[in-house]
Amino acid sequence: MSVYAKPLSPEVVSQGDNTMVLSMGPQHPSTHGVLQIVLEIDGENVVKADPEIGYLHTGIEKTAEGLFWTQAQTVIERMDYLAPSSNALCYSLAVEKLLGITDRIPERAQIIRVMDMELTRIASHCVWLGTHGIDLGAISVFFYCFDLREHILDLQEANGGARMHPNYMRVGGCNGDLPDGYLARLDALIEKFPGRMRELRGLLQANPIFQDRTIDVGVLTPEEALQWSVTGPSLRASGVAYDVRKAYPYTGYDTYEFDVPSRTEGDAYARFLVRLDEMDQSIRIVQQARKRLDTPGPVMIDDPKVALPPKETIALSMEALIHHFKLISEGFRVPPGDVYQNVESPRGELGYYIVSDGENRPYRVRTRPPSLYNLQALKGIAPGNLIADLVVMIGSLDPVFGEVDR
Amino acid sequence: MPSTQNPPIAGAAIDPPSLRPPIDDAAIERVESAQLRERLEALRRDGYAVLLDLGAVDYLRRTPRFDVVYHLLQLAPVRAGVADVGSPARKRVLCGIESSQHLPTVMDLWKSADWAEREVYDLFGIVFDGHSDLRRIQMPRDWEGHPLRKDYPMRGPERERAPRPAFANKSNVVAGTPPAGRTLEALQEQVKRARES
Repeated sequence: MSVYAKPLSPEVVSQGDNTMVLSMGPQHPSTHGVLQIVLEIDGENVVKADPEIGYLHTGIEKTAEGLFWTQAQTVIERMDYLAPSSNALCYSLAVEKLLGITDRIPERAQIIRVMDMELTRIASHCVWLGTHGIDLGAISVFFYCFDLREHILDLQEANGGARMHPNYMRVGGCNGDLPDGYLARLDALIEKFPGRMRELRGLLQANPIFQDRTIDVGVLTPEEALQWSVTGPSLRASGVAYDVRKAYPYTGYDTYEFDVPSRTEGDAYARFLVRLDEMDQSIRIVQQARKRLDTPGPVMIDDPKVALPPKETIALSMEALIHHFKLISEGFRVPPGDVYQNVESPRGELGYYIVSDGENRPYRVRTRPPSLYNLQALKGIAPGNLIADLVVMIGSLDPVFGEVDR
Repeated sequence: MPSTQNPPIAGAAIDPPSLRPPIDDAAIERVESAQLRERLEALRRDGYAVLLDLGAVDYLRRTPRFDVVYHLLQLAPVRAGVADVGSPARKRVLCGIESSQHLPTVMDLWKSADWAEREVYDLFGIVFDGHSDLRRIQMPRDWEGHPLRKDYPMRGPERERAPRPAFANKSNVVAGTPPAGRTLEALQEQVKRARES
């Protein structure tokens, strides 16, 4: 098996006259997890960068094949650990399409899903902004960002029971209605948000050091971005306003008013501005969703073959008890077929290609992780830049390694 | 516990995608492996500038065994607003191949195929001819086997496990019985004594 034995890319090992090979990571603080980059450098200049991934590979796609459709969602949520709801939503939508119940998801469940998606986007961008700031030496931004994120995680904990992986969105709707007092806390967040954004912008946007470090660094042209299949804010910073929420609306995104921020520069600073503008748009969507949440209604599909029966009916109804027992002990079956479902995760187009063979477990769950493709673009934009700028580029592409390695 | 078992291998339903009409809005095409490269080149010329994803599925009991799935997006590489981008056409190209067959690489058409092909090679063992750097990407370099194949055991191949560390072998713990003081009787005894005193 000669192919296995290749130690490193042949090009990287064959050093030029003045170049040397340097391994950056996998423990480097600016690599946001476990990324190793094998660098060929000429002085301080990067000649070639070859990211080595796979340090966080946990075989989620394989594990999911052995779990029931509902159980699989709990591991799938752990791919993009900064925005677990986007994984859960995309997977649920795909399974709902296979089940043919897409049109029967209750209105209120869809509103909560949209609200949760946008809150998780803000929380995810907060982590990105905080760590991006730390990479560039702006430590205090981190604390402001994590304070805002904490407020959102509190809300996630309130409706899902867990801060990081609420597993709140399920196939067929959401797991339980919003708890008492949730909307008041959401209102408090909406109220304090503009002030917080002003602070965040004030700390970095016009900061000359930050601008020096990011403007004209890691420029992605539209051609280059599409060649590398870059999506999300990184693509929109290059001028192509492709947003899954607008292109293929899901869970009623077409009924919300929002803009898709885009820039034309394509550098790290443009990506920074696009993400900040996105946070403003997200809270705009949350506000609209908040208004619609005043009307009560069911949050789970009324289909005993998919959704667990209400707890209070179990003691009274034999059918409810049977359905509960069946769903817990052997799950539901999904008609055979394949489907590709995409959503706009905070990092770009997140897609699931799911194949069902008619059993109670997924036959194959293939993820299209936006981080994997965005990170790959590093190979294209790193050469010719300084090592210090490489740190900026990694930060501005916002990879999450749970998703890259899965 | 389901997670410790191997997933059941499909019996009758060996090719689920062929069993029902497509249910998402992508145009689906099935291409023979000999025509694959030609077809993808034509699609690339037609403006499918993005290779969104490249994955594979193992239909163990079907001939050909694997499906390699290309997800394409017709998006022009020019600066465009939301209205100009609109709702770009999507295409799904499926190509069935046997485990002994190779596929041509599409790295030169779409750079993003680089890691995607490496991943398919790593996890399914499908070789892409002409790929400049085809080596494992997720699994360790010296790994044997291809984990996402259906005949690969869920918990990995049989292997010798490392002996338990010495500190785990405590002399006061007998395997199979709970340590003294933690049995139900002992607890009841404890409660009884507490009540009496």
